[in-house]
Amino acid sequence: MESSSRHPAGSSDTKHRRGGALDSYGKGLPALSIATVVVITIALALVFFYAPLEAEQGFLQKIFYVHVPLAIIALCGFVIGGVFAALHLRTRDSRWDMRSYVAIHMSLIFGVGALITGSIWAKGSWGHWWVWSEPTLVSFLIVFLLYATYQPLRFAIEDPESQARYASVFAITAGAFVPLNFIAVRLSTAYLHPRVLGSTSNLPPRMAFTFLVSLLGMSLLFVTLCKFELTAKHVRAQLRALRRLTDARAGAHSSAGWAGEAPRRRPRSAAPTQLPATRMSAHITGRPGS
Amino acid sequence: MAAVVVGELPALPLHTAGKYVAGAFVVVFAIVLIYVAIMAIRLVRIERQLGALLEQERASEPEERDAPRAESTLA
Repeated sequence: MESSSRHPAGSSDTKHRRGGALDSYGKGLPALSIATVVVITIALALVFFYAPLEAEQGFLQKIFYVHVPLAIIALCGFVIGGVFAALHLRTRDSRWDMRSYVAIHMSLIFGVGALITGSIWAKGSWGHWWVWSEPTLVSFLIVFLLYATYQPLRFAIEDPESQARYASVFAITAGAFVPLNFIAVRLSTAYLHPRVLGSTSNLPPRMAFTFLVSLLGMSLLFVTLCKFELTAKHVRAQLRALRRLTDARAGAHSSAGWAGEAPRRRPRSAAPTQLPATRMSAHITGRPGS
Repeated sequence: MAAVVVGELPALPLHTAGKYVAGAFVVVFAIVLIYVAIMAIRLVRIERQLGALLEQERASEPEERDAPRAESTLA
């Protein structure tokens, strides 16, 4: 993702910093997409043709190479969303809010994948779709449900600035909860769920290599989809800004005696808004249009 | 050479576990596919909105050209 340097409020490049038209989220996206496809193809080949069959579970254990990376990336995405939210509160740059939103949004999608693949694995391995006594499953579900409230929270707040601020506070709090939850589960006594990372991991080298390639593939998929989402949202924001300009011009003509449409109001949305420079600077300095 | 490589590779047993493994991988593939479909729908919407905006701009161009003449006539 793009890096963002900190500039003093009201500097000459404030407009650019606040999500100006010159920003590009799609930079490097084609190369990243190709890399993702290549790594995931290699990972699939390794899973089915290189990694040995596990002694106890046999072929069923192949689900491990898709389920565990999905779960790890989803949890990491939630934490990254919290870090971006902290950067948003620190810099007041709406682009960090956008990144935080996209990271959490994508982690929820990955979380759905982890829950479904986990259920399928549980059914094949334990004979049940879900085991409520297993702390790893339940804790992941709690984290998932916690983040499932993120978008309704955003949607409930109409003012874009308040929405971004409250959402950032939520993302930081929930992001801190994720590693705490992970540690709590580790400390629990039940070890029915297989351990993947840490000293208890006893993966043979071939399995470990395949797992790491799968994890890399999932990470690349996460970053690629995040960049796609960011690019799409940025294009939509630019389109809205262009329409506002056109409407404003039409409105000026209308007031001068020419027919024009009334300015359109932005529909209520859970997605972040890249605020116009004047409004953001007014928010920072407390002076309108400064 | 190929025989050696194939001999080294584990077999793909098609016993009962196969349907679960296939199900898990299909779910992930389906999620990515659904996401791509949603992105495609969004892209079509953006294209339509951009087209409408362009049409609006083209339609307003003659009015803008006529505007100074109208003012000078009034003056």
